[in-house]
Amino acid sequence: MAAAADAEKKPLSTRVVAYQIDAKLDPATHSITATESLTYLNLTGQPQQTFPFHLYLNAFQPQSTFMTEVRLSGTRGNDPDSAWDAKNFGSITVDKLEVDGMGDLTGAMQFIQPDDHNAADHTVFQVTLPKPVAPGATVTFRMAFHDVMPVVVERTGYKRDFFMVGQWFPKVGVWWKNQWNCHQFHATTEFFADFGTFDVKLTLPHDEVVGAGGDLVSTVNNSDGTKTLEYRSEDVHDFSWTASPHFTDAEDSWTGSAGTVKIHLLMAPGNMASAPRYLRALKGTLAYYDKWVGPYPYDRITVVDPEHGAFNAGGMEYPTLITAGSTWWMPKGLLVPEVVVEHEFGHQYWYAMVATNEFEEAWLDEGINSYMEVKVMDALYGKDTSMLNFPFAQAGDGEEQRTSYLGAPDFDPLTRFAWQFRSSGSYAAVTYGKTATVLATLEKLIGEEKMQEAMHTYFMRYRFTHPTGEDFLKTIEEVSGRNLRWYFDQAVYGTNILDYEIWSADSDRVNWYEKENPLTRSSHQQVYRTYVTVHRKGDFIFPVDVKVKFDDGTSALEHWDGRDRWVRYTYERKAKLASAEVDPERKILLDRDFFNNGRTAESDDRATHKLLRIWVFTNEWISQLVAWFT
Amino acid sequence: MMSTSQPKPKAFAAGASLVWRRQRILWWIFVVNLVLAFMGAAGASHNLADDAGVTLNHSTEAARRLVHGFDMSALQELGSLPQDPLRGTSALAALPSILFLLFMLFATGGILAAYYEDFSLDASAFFEAGARCFWRFVRLLVYFVIAMIPVVIIGSIAGKIYDHIDDVSVSPYASVWFGCAAVAVILLLLMAIRLWFDMTEVIAVAHDERRMHKALRLAAGVMWRNHHSLFWLYFRISVIGWAVFAAGLYLWMIRLHPESGAKALLLSQAMILFWIGARLWQRASEASWYKQYREAQAVSVAPPEPIAPLIPTEEELAGAPR
Repeated sequence: MAAAADAEKKPLSTRVVAYQIDAKLDPATHSITATESLTYLNLTGQPQQTFPFHLYLNAFQPQSTFMTEVRLSGTRGNDPDSAWDAKNFGSITVDKLEVDGMGDLTGAMQFIQPDDHNAADHTVFQVTLPKPVAPGATVTFRMAFHDVMPVVVERTGYKRDFFMVGQWFPKVGVWWKNQWNCHQFHATTEFFADFGTFDVKLTLPHDEVVGAGGDLVSTVNNSDGTKTLEYRSEDVHDFSWTASPHFTDAEDSWTGSAGTVKIHLLMAPGNMASAPRYLRALKGTLAYYDKWVGPYPYDRITVVDPEHGAFNAGGMEYPTLITAGSTWWMPKGLLVPEVVVEHEFGHQYWYAMVATNEFEEAWLDEGINSYMEVKVMDALYGKDTSMLNFPFAQAGDGEEQRTSYLGAPDFDPLTRFAWQFRSSGSYAAVTYGKTATVLATLEKLIGEEKMQEAMHTYFMRYRFTHPTGEDFLKTIEEVSGRNLRWYFDQAVYGTNILDYEIWSADSDRVNWYEKENPLTRSSHQQVYRTYVTVHRKGDFIFPVDVKVKFDDGTSALEHWDGRDRWVRYTYERKAKLASAEVDPERKILLDRDFFNNGRTAESDDRATHKLLRIWVFTNEWISQLVAWFT
Repeated sequence: MMSTSQPKPKAFAAGASLVWRRQRILWWIFVVNLVLAFMGAAGASHNLADDAGVTLNHSTEAARRLVHGFDMSALQELGSLPQDPLRGTSALAALPSILFLLFMLFATGGILAAYYEDFSLDASAFFEAGARCFWRFVRLLVYFVIAMIPVVIIGSIAGKIYDHIDDVSVSPYASVWFGCAAVAVILLLLMAIRLWFDMTEVIAVAHDERRMHKALRLAAGVMWRNHHSLFWLYFRISVIGWAVFAAGLYLWMIRLHPESGAKALLLSQAMILFWIGARLWQRASEASWYKQYREAQAVSVAPPEPIAPLIPTEEELAGAPR
């Protein structure tokens, strides 16, 4: 029994950091005053004297690198020309920094800009200690800091008396690949941190309903009308929290292979109709991840529904706390609340547990997560209706990911550092859409079972570590037993375009020089020569199937390695061509243009006519509206 | 002057009857609208046929994703192709709208003359009436745009108030209700302005009035004295038009099988036909109302019994002392 209890208590991760934070929220000034104690365990294998820290909230300053990049090409929820005023500015100030046994080092703090040398960017500072910390030893930093929260523009901040507090404390960088990894905060980058423990005390007004990424340990009601909540979280790399006096906490639970998970669904006023939708999506995602990927080891998950006007706080992930997104008017056929909850919960596996470097290899989190999002959404809501499900229009999540990829298919490889993409649009198209499509195509290539096994193996092997892209790719090769470098080189590391088309397809009488005998034709005695030419339009080489159907119901299936630019198939049969199609089962989702994949001998104008009808009607209708002015 | 105690003109039914009896107008407008819209759409359709690598008519993918249902991502995919077969769709839609606007500016004079006179105008009379009123109505269009400025200002103020309420209110509904109220007020304002200009056009035709500012003043007076009956007339027909349009949209989008081609075409065109009919119904009702109004006015201001003339008769002159 004792051994079992010990096993239960055994940390899930290698705990490098131990944070103790005591914070007080002042809702009137939208600010937080806090002290932080960070004990860092030096597992780098060498003495460490200089330590970098993130100060993410300083990104919300006009001259920051983040803001400069937003002005260049926007970011999630913010156009380049989005209006910014004083309310949108946020900051974090470290008023004091002491190191146990080394004294006050406030004066030794120094802002650094490892990515772009923008001296006005204060999102990273470093401190050099008077003496190094020996390998295996610990060092404790004690800081007093002050946050000024912005109105929510990017994940974190406030709206009225709603607070979503993320990336709010000085966070130490990660020793990775034999050097410190502590990037500035960019418009498109997310986060990277070491595992450990968090003991956080939050003091805030008594009427606040609070959600946090930790277990509530104690609640103390203070005499000044405030309360102090104490949270503990283990084997995580971040801690976030939310507060609003208007939340409704819809509690629920789900039981999986690792035990019962308590669900806190914090619903904003006016959005309660979305609560059952959130819960269905969340429980379905928990179940499918448990079945396909691995157990969810935490005993809690908090879902925050941001209040209206704070939409940019939504759709974000933190360890054991995610933010969703809905509105009071959300139609049932538009599965936005479902997709957001699914996606953000999926991050618990890839961002929170596998914990890849989101600055440098964002595709490993966002992309793998988007691939899994499609799998889960399709399983829960149907392949063709998992994003849009109206009687008059449908769309599957997989198609939406592919459409996103088609928006910027050849500018950036998956492996580009997040802030070095051509634009935020290209970052989103490639990191989310293209990665999901690359993995969906890979699944067709190696088989669904192997792919599932690979995902499971990757998760179980690398959870609570910081694996790289190569770790992921090698795991797939290992599980599938195949050398897939040819594919990875083009799809992951390259920007090759994949596009196959039926260039031409036609039938001709073999005895074309003779007058056609109608009797021969009607009795299927006429021999035809059919030519089908398949063209590789893009520079992405991928083996493809070609299916040729004839008008007597027979068909021929060809397999082409795709190495040459084109191939021609010739048939002599007592039947004419009905259709020719490259990749008839649509296995190659990376194909840029599906509309040129197949060609029919007979014309079918129904699609064109349908579009024409809609356009004519729309034009007529617009004309009528314009004519209202006369 | 017509007093409110006088019987109200029965223009609602009379307008519908006029549209029915003068159907040729309805069909002509429908045909012109259809032809122009088709010309705009055919360009986009031609792009699809020529530029999508293979034509959609021979594409197995098109049949799969666009015929059996309507896959929105298929349309997105078409738009993202390098050859962009959907290019110019909006530009191609703009031109027919402008041409139709010009056509209506020209035709409105003839339409209103036909409705006001309740007489089947021959082509030359119709075009003569249209040509006579064309530049008047172009000037009126300028006045209309000017009249819209206050509405735009009100809309902008309402937008700012909406943003403020949305910003400070915890519940999303406070701003929503305000928004609904603001939209209702703006719609009513738009209806009132349109009605005012409709009546101006009727007066311009009925009185052959060239001075549009005078016609506007007259129409404003008529509206001021009869705002209730006129607005109710316009409002009822608007509601019927929108209700039928919504019902048609429901049938098309929800009830009709995605693969049905002819039925969808007939239904969509029936919706447009009824929409045009509803607008003409408004114009015919307004014309009929004004005609009845003038007749009633003529009765109410009929000259009194003849009084003794101030100029003496010859007999009186003959008997008068010299």
